[in-house]
Amino acid sequence: MKLKALIQKEFRRFFGDPKLIITLILPGVLIYLIYSLMGGLIWDRPQTHDYNVLVLGESAAVEALFETTFGEELTLTHTDDKDAALEEVKQGNVTALISFSEDFDNAVASYDPSSGLPAPQVEIFYRSADDTSSAFYTAATSLLSAYEGSISNAFDVNLGDAQYDFSSTSEVIMSVLGGLLPFLVVTLIFSSCMSITLESVAGEKERGTLATILVTSVRRSDIALGKVIPLSCIAAIGALSSFLGIALSMPQLMGMELGGVFVEYAFGDYLLLLGLIVSIVPLIVSAMTVISTYAKSVKEASSYSGVIMIVVMVLSLVSTFVSGIGDWVCCIPVLGTVVAIQRILEDGAALVMGLISIAVNLAFTALFIFLTAKMLSSERIMFGK
Amino acid sequence: MEETAIVKAEGLRKTFTLSEKQRKIEKTSQKLKVAVDGLSFSAYRGEIYGLLGPNGAGKTTTLRILSTLIRPDAGDAFVGGCSVLKEGEKVRDKIGFMTSELKLEGFFTPSYLFDFFGAMHGVDKAMLAERKEELFARFGIDRFAEVKVSDLSTGMLQKVSLVVAIVHDPEVVIFDEPTNGLDVLTAKVVTDFLLELKAMGKSILLSTHIFSLVEKLCDRVGIIIDGRMAAEGTLEELCEGKSIEDKFFEIYEGIKGETV
Repeated sequence: MKLKALIQKEFRRFFGDPKLIITLILPGVLIYLIYSLMGGLIWDRPQTHDYNVLVLGESAAVEALFETTFGEELTLTHTDDKDAALEEVKQGNVTALISFSEDFDNAVASYDPSSGLPAPQVEIFYRSADDTSSAFYTAATSLLSAYEGSISNAFDVNLGDAQYDFSSTSEVIMSVLGGLLPFLVVTLIFSSCMSITLESVAGEKERGTLATILVTSVRRSDIALGKVIPLSCIAAIGALSSFLGIALSMPQLMGMELGGVFVEYAFGDYLLLLGLIVSIVPLIVSAMTVISTYAKSVKEASSYSGVIMIVVMVLSLVSTFVSGIGDWVCCIPVLGTVVAIQRILEDGAALVMGLISIAVNLAFTALFIFLTAKMLSSERIMFGK
Repeated sequence: MEETAIVKAEGLRKTFTLSEKQRKIEKTSQKLKVAVDGLSFSAYRGEIYGLLGPNGAGKTTTLRILSTLIRPDAGDAFVGGCSVLKEGEKVRDKIGFMTSELKLEGFFTPSYLFDFFGAMHGVDKAMLAERKEELFARFGIDRFAEVKVSDLSTGMLQKVSLVVAIVHDPEVVIFDEPTNGLDVLTAKVVTDFLLELKAMGKSILLSTHIFSLVEKLCDRVGIIIDGRMAAEGTLEELCEGKSIEDKFFEIYEGIKGETV
């Protein structure tokens, strides 16, 4: 009954304040909207241009290459008056001016780099401030570089018609998810846990309301549980919101279909992922509860949590940069969970490791709850000046 | 008055380590401050016992030991026969503790907090509803029952703190400076209620440095100076025909060897 009342109080405190609910849900919604918008801008932007290019001199080979590549987007117009052509480019009346040196094609064919003579030249005059002109310049220089390379060609790489990359788009996304998501999940869970736990535990201690509860006959372990259980539920909602925001917007950000990604994982994988994510929430909440109980104020707790954040971030990033991590890491909280999540996302086979990681997270959570209860009984910690 | 000690302190001693900053403030080089030094006293069932002393005498520390918020370095105290050292939970169920250090969450309403602290003490719902109606009406809280605590006036907040402290109908009510910071009207409500509690057979232990409050409320007084019990007894025994104020300064000057 006492524990139930303590849990209800935390929920009431949180859900009775619309501002707190909004701050919990908003990050996820914002992440989804921003990532989706970014994806939309990247992948849906019209790529067609209308290139009106003047040509000074002549090169049948290069002009043919350009016409083949740009198709109807390109209109080449020959001119003899360089000054007038340059003025047209300056004024923005044409996209660019390509100037070939004299007898360009023959000069290129007969050019011997060892002769020490200057090489035939192509000059492209353009306006970098103009999107179309700039896009043409980029595309044209890249085509010319490729053309230059093909003249003294020794070998080709992947120039045939065959399919060389056998990865499916889903596998590409899974690889990205595997590398990025665990870190993001841990980061989001941490930030979600931090704000509410600091306010609820260190805030109550600072305001003197925790001491009022300590004068009642409620057990210290119930007070600790009465914080960790509801705060974990609340933090899980925040973390879930952010996680969904990322997971749902990621395919759009990468320009791929959503449905194709999710069928890659089995139902069991989802359950294990859920278990891992759910188990890391009370772990972080209980760790934050320990430091919030120890701290004299929210400000002091915030500075301590900065240290914990660095530890958690490092643990969640280690597996991304260190290859060949053994299964034994599942005994290390956070790191084991991150590695298990990565393995599930990448190849979907981490049942034992996942289950051990969950057990380790819960064991550490129990340890932190025990520590909090001890600290609540400590006069030096609770009432020390 | 039944001569059964409901609160019994036996040789309580409590020291605090002073930080460098605290040593500078107190202008001392001593690292340890003795707040309570071998304090013993008994408060009997149905009486109001007052701990009288200047600031820093050890009154608040003593009350905090009795309410189990802090532990004595030596000695023990018993409330209703339960040791504050060994039976903290039982002691806390027998007492209602009021001090300005204990605050109520401003976000909640008096009605909710009454129910919440009732649950913390394991009071059953029917009893809780009955006590809420009675106490809220007695203190005029009923009209503010659903107003957030942060929006209440200081006087009303004090009344809410009072009813929350006694939500579980404790045998012993411990008050640290009960009328400090209160306006005259609220102070009267509080002192009247203490007398009412006494009439109901409750035992009250309070700390104060206000002589008039002692004279008005207390059956017996313990004068604490420098953490030690300087004198103890009923008002009549202690004062020997003098006012409590005159008697206090007589004792104080006798111990400190200086005229105030």
